[in-house]
Amino acid sequence: MSATTLRGARSARLAEAIDLVVDRVGQLSAVAVGALVVVMASNVLLRYGFSIGSVWAQELEWHLMSPIALIGAAYALRHGEHVRVDVLYAGFPERVKAAIDLAAALAGIAVAAIVIWLSWRYVGVSWNNAEGSPNPGGIPYRWALKAFIPVGFALLLAQFAAETLRAVSRLRAA
Amino acid sequence: MPLTEIYAILMLVGFFGLLMIGIPVALTLAVTGFVFGWLGFGPLLFNLLPHRIFGVVTNYSLLAIPLFVFMGVALEKSRLAEDLMEVVGRLSGALRGGLGLGIVFVGVLMGATTGIVGATVVTLGLLTLPALLRRGYDKGLACGVICASGTLGQIIPPSLILILLADIMNLSVGTLFAAAVFPGLMLAGIYCAWILVLGIVRPEMVPAVPAEERALTSTRDLLVKLFKVIAPPVGLVMAVLGSIIAGIAAPTEAAAMGALGALVVCAIGRRLSAGLVVETLRTTARITAMMMFILICAQVFALSFRGLQGEQMVHDLFEFLPGGVAADIWFMLLLIFVLGFFLEWIEISYIAVPIFLPVFATAGVDPVWLAMLICVMLQTSFLTPPFGWALFFLRGVAPPEVTTGDIYRGVIPFVGMQILAVALVFFFPAIATWLPAAIGW
Amino acid sequence: TAQTTFNWRMTSFYGPQAAFYSTGPGSARDLIDRIQRMSNNRIRIQFFGAGELIPAAEGFDAVSSGIVEMNYANAYFWTGKTFAAQYFTAVPFGLNFQGLNGWMYDGGGLDLWREVYDRFNLVPFLCGNTGVQMTGWFRRPVERVEDLRGLKMRIPGLAGRVYQRLGVDVRLLPAGEIFPALERGVIDAAEFVGPFLDRQLGLQRVAKHYYTTGWHETATASELIINKAAWNRLPNDLKAIVENAVAACNVISEAWCQKNNADAMEDLIRNHGVMAAPLPDPVTDRLRTETAAVLDEAIARDPVTRRVHESFMAYKARFDAWSEYSEVPYHNKIRRA
Ligand code: NA
Ligand code: NA
Repeated sequence: MSATTLRGARSARLAEAIDLVVDRVGQLSAVAVGALVVVMASNVLLRYGFSIGSVWAQELEWHLMSPIALIGAAYALRHGEHVRVDVLYAGFPERVKAAIDLAAALAGIAVAAIVIWLSWRYVGVSWNNAEGSPNPGGIPYRWALKAFIPVGFALLLAQFAAETLRAVSRLRAA
Repeated sequence: MPLTEIYAILMLVGFFGLLMIGIPVALTLAVTGFVFGWLGFGPLLFNLLPHRIFGVVTNYSLLAIPLFVFMGVALEKSRLAEDLMEVVGRLSGALRGGLGLGIVFVGVLMGATTGIVGATVVTLGLLTLPALLRRGYDKGLACGVICASGTLGQIIPPSLILILLADIMNLSVGTLFAAAVFPGLMLAGIYCAWILVLGIVRPEMVPAVPAEERALTSTRDLLVKLFKVIAPPVGLVMAVLGSIIAGIAAPTEAAAMGALGALVVCAIGRRLSAGLVVETLRTTARITAMMMFILICAQVFALSFRGLQGEQMVHDLFEFLPGGVAADIWFMLLLIFVLGFFLEWIEISYIAVPIFLPVFATAGVDPVWLAMLICVMLQTSFLTPPFGWALFFLRGVAPPEVTTGDIYRGVIPFVGMQILAVALVFFFPAIATWLPAAIGW
Repeated sequence: TAQTTFNWRMTSFYGPQAAFYSTGPGSARDLIDRIQRMSNNRIRIQFFGAGELIPAAEGFDAVSSGIVEMNYANAYFWTGKTFAAQYFTAVPFGLNFQGLNGWMYDGGGLDLWREVYDRFNLVPFLCGNTGVQMTGWFRRPVERVEDLRGLKMRIPGLAGRVYQRLGVDVRLLPAGEIFPALERGVIDAAEFVGPFLDRQLGLQRVAKHYYTTGWHETATASELIINKAAWNRLPNDLKAIVENAVAACNVISEAWCQKNNADAMEDLIRNHGVMAAPLPDPVTDRLRTETAAVLDEAIARDPVTRRVHESFMAYKARFDAWSEYSEVPYHNKIRRA
């Protein structure tokens, strides 16, 4: 077995491992979707049927979008959901396609790294101030809601790394 | 020309370039935003990015996206959608374009329940696109009808655009809602007319369901199927709408009733299973996250456009303009149209509208009429290639045999129809102003 | 020597054209205009309404970290960061415009405000007031305390907590959904601002009972915050210009709101069939008791809030006593005569 194929096999295994982690963690976004449907529908029904309502449960509705969007972004990438304009791309030879995908994956790593770096302090300030809800009776952990930004982009960074590995091997093969 | 404005222009050019060679849409926005923003004003302003991202992921109105997508995915996974289209096709008989009319109709109904374009386009795309293609509809036309019908929700109240315009223009939300009813229905009517005309002129684009297929179902079977298949999903949309009208739920909450209702419908049809629920949740999460990720990356682009004084550039253009209120109005509409090629509607509203407001206020232009012109024109921004939200959202759920090129080609006639609608509102202001006046608003 | 010029940004909690807050006498734009003219453009300020640069509620953190120099809002939007912020806008059954100004300028209020915001790297200024607000719009009349039980009401913030204790089902709705929700009866009542802005939202078309004088906001102060480091960089003459501009806007904004609300109220009653009246006394009394209980809970949790509360209430006691000789006879005897 040559050194190149060995390296190729190793990077393929690494990419698969990343896929697996992102898949597992990414399912949290699906759980959040389920919770959103249940929480919002029961808020409506309880209020309409029994005049029961709480500020906490209403705030929970929009707290759930944060994990859906941010944890879900890497999960969507893992399953190839991110859209592109394929008018020209579809006609390119495989080598060019692989090069474009490599560039995109590297750009994705850079974007994710920048956002993590930018949001770190933003979350820290909220944590230090023990920031809560401006609505009395609301959910107190505002920092947790903000923390999904760096966490989600860290997952994205990992998935873009896996995409990079795959694009490199495609480029080699082409 | 100041250096920042040159960077702003380069940013737009770079954006088009990367988009066209096939870099994913979200990354295109983020990369050009970061690069030219950093060149133009350095790193400092990007510290505002987390604030904008947080604003996007905690935006209450956007909650309608996962909820409506859930409804659409559940109906699709349960194969109810497929049966539904079959019955609609059978019902429309020998009428060419019948399925297309059905989509416009559902678009109007869904538009009356939400103001979120993405939610409607994705739901319609999931439910109807495969069925349209299987029955030989022209790919482009199928995509065009779905995208255009999906954007109807932005003008048919309740609508986010109207709420934002009311805020920016200091108008009553209720008045704008009333004013938008007829322009919205008129637009739907124009789409229907176009489909019917195509049925006569280019019958191969909008085939009627073949007589043989129709013959497979007897009238008796049809009535049974009608009850079993059409009643649940249409009932569902009516229930969502109904829960708003009956005062059970606010518009965004009504979307949750739709999602819950979709599960009930599946259960009644004996198609509900744990597997279906899990798959629906996963697919919904992925589609929603994909849409939200584009929105998040659009924040980088928009922030840079501001930092590079992009709105100043627009302002300077306006100074060159010869006088005349009508010329000013058309210039503003043209500007909205052009900005629609690369910005999303929220940024366009903030950038294009406030500049003109003082001029029009001085000239005594009816602000309600003006808001309707803006609103209908903003519709085009969802459809104009290369950057149109409706196009990407449909792309995200369309089967692989549909290319972006098909979608681009298909929406062009509908962009033309929207411009026609703008012209109609311009020359016949009563389309917009009659209803609010008639009900005393 | 050449004088330094300062190019600053101001963000706002309110939309770019919002009347009272962003446009009109004493608003954020007017404040900017005054500062620029007085300083001969040595301070130039670019204004961004909510959503233009950052979302509405993000101004506090943005100024705190120094990316934006100034933000325009009301302090009570920041009660999630420090509950004491409530007192720097309006406390239910609190002080009126005169009283609040007295506490702020001469009763130690402004000093406390600065002290509380210091750890956030912020210097706060009292820069405006929208006057007394209204209790809100109700689809059905409120005749007894029991009528509040099960009532679905859009009411954010501290007042929501008070209503909740009387059995109100508190709804958090964005401003854009108030109108459709009230129209369809998803909610039975809604609080927004006052006659001028409420009329703009069209609430008079969907609810006819307008309960008047906001027990929950007896005079609502506007807030300008400036990043501490940015403020410290200003030379003394420019600091004086800012201080005088905010004081001018504090008076000018309130006057303009009074005028517009007076006109709007007349129009609502004369042309829109609105029935305006104060809440029945027993209801007001219960709201007062519950407010005291809610504030007691808050000061028990947080020593900073306790200090601010005690300062506020001590001033209020003296102001109320003096009012018995001054304002109360004026309203009851002189004005009515
Ligand atoms: Na709508
Ligand atoms: Na567009």
